[in-house]
Amino acid sequence: MNKPTTFLLLFLLTLLGITVSASEAAPKQQAGTQHDVTIFFANDVRGETEPCG
Amino acid sequence: MLPLDSGALLFKDEKLPPDQREQLTVTAQGIVTAYNKMSFAGVGIARQDLAAGLPFLLALQKKASFPWLSANLLSRTDRKPWFKPHTLLTTGGMRIAVIGLTAQGADSLLTDKDNAVITPWEEVLPQELAQLRGRAGMTILLSSYPSAINKKIAETHPEIHLILQGGDSRGNMPPEWVNNTLITQVEPQGKSVGILEVHWNAESKKWEETGSENLLTDKKNELDRLGWQINRYRRQGDPTQAFKDQPQVLEAYNDMLAKRRLLEEEILRLTAEQNARDANRSRSSSYSFQFETMRKDLPDNPSVRAIVDATTSEVNRIGKAAVKARISESTGRKQEGTSEKYAGSTACTSCHAPQFAKWRTTQHATAYDTLEAKEQQFNVQCLPCHITGPAAQTGQEMLALAHDLRQVGCESCHGPAQAHTLQPAAAKVGQPTMATCQRCHTGDHDDRFNFSEALSRLRCGAD
Repeated sequence: MNKPTTFLLLFLLTLLGITVSASEAAPKQQAGTQHDVTIFFANDVRGETEPCG
Repeated sequence: MLPLDSGALLFKDEKLPPDQREQLTVTAQGIVTAYNKMSFAGVGIARQDLAAGLPFLLALQKKASFPWLSANLLSRTDRKPWFKPHTLLTTGGMRIAVIGLTAQGADSLLTDKDNAVITPWEEVLPQELAQLRGRAGMTILLSSYPSAINKKIAETHPEIHLILQGGDSRGNMPPEWVNNTLITQVEPQGKSVGILEVHWNAESKKWEETGSENLLTDKKNELDRLGWQINRYRRQGDPTQAFKDQPQVLEAYNDMLAKRRLLEEEILRLTAEQNARDANRSRSSSYSFQFETMRKDLPDNPSVRAIVDATTSEVNRIGKAAVKARISESTGRKQEGTSEKYAGSTACTSCHAPQFAKWRTTQHATAYDTLEAKEQQFNVQCLPCHITGPAAQTGQEMLALAHDLRQVGCESCHGPAQAHTLQPAAAKVGQPTMATCQRCHTGDHDDRFNFSEALSRLRCGAD
């Protein structure tokens, strides 16, 4: 069957890769009431780890 | 960075088949280990996460470096939550409150021994938000309730700024703005991860209105088009003179002038609003989002790869042990089961040699081999769609399947053919329909499946 994804495995890579670029772009100190936050989210992973074959 | 999950992380269904329990719970433990490695900051509890029982999830919680969250999964006797109702996190220089809500359903999910009940959100959320008032710059809700209820929550509680939901069949859902709350979700099975970049004003706590810039542009374009039409009327001089004998034309011209006045007034108003927003922009909060597909061409992370490999290897080991136990139990006895109605693909060759040869060239003919190559041939989550046999088989029966019924053979599409091999004329086999293929080629497993295209590619009987 044709699964276009590798599911959970790549989460970390994506998280780390994008976080590095986001943290480089973001100021180290955020003054006052303004804040920059990057939220990663998932849902309904349903016990999947990777495609069967 | 704030990685969150709104639930249904561990299991697909709300009940585990007894003969698959061990493999499924080992997989669940592997996923929690992977989430620990990925530094998840909070995971909501959905009904499916309780499929192995409340004690299992409570034990698993001890192995998790992130909190499992549910404000409404309570002890039946003292009404205290079994898990943390919320967590307070610091990121981007700001405190963020994250609350969990578990969607209700049939209470049969929880046994009397569990001493647990999932209460309606209305009974817990107001007091939960009251407790958090003044303690966080932003509030996020992880909810396994469906969209309609989450919208109601957003309408009732504008102090919730973001709802990350699960359980809705729509897949990737761009943030929808309800009151002062964004609601969003990603597609299931970890096929995508959602990324929300938020620029947040923790004082005003208001999302910036979007879309008015587009409206202003649209109105300006409309004014340009109208001006061009009005100028066409003026090419022949003053229209009131040029068309004085054509009242209908003059009326249309005057209507356009009236419309232009209205448009100019609206553009002035929108421009003033835009200027006020620009001046006040530093007080506003805004966001951008993307859904990142977990594509095959992205490289694996070695540490998570190792966790998944160890998990799948253990799942396979459990299945293999079950086969050995079953073979040992059935020694000297004929195995019972519906698989005896199946003849196996090689039994078809004597009369259908060309069709068999064609089948050998398809991926169906190596479906089991692909599992074997990945050492997943004893994984009962994978097996049903890589072997020939009835859907009613138990995991144990699948694991002990005869060699000739491995691969997706002739009888996967045409049905059991033992009787046909004995009486070819009297016992005909069936032809596959779309429903036959969709037993395995579901949206979950093959979202690009096209029945007509697949059938034209296989077409065993046409050659």
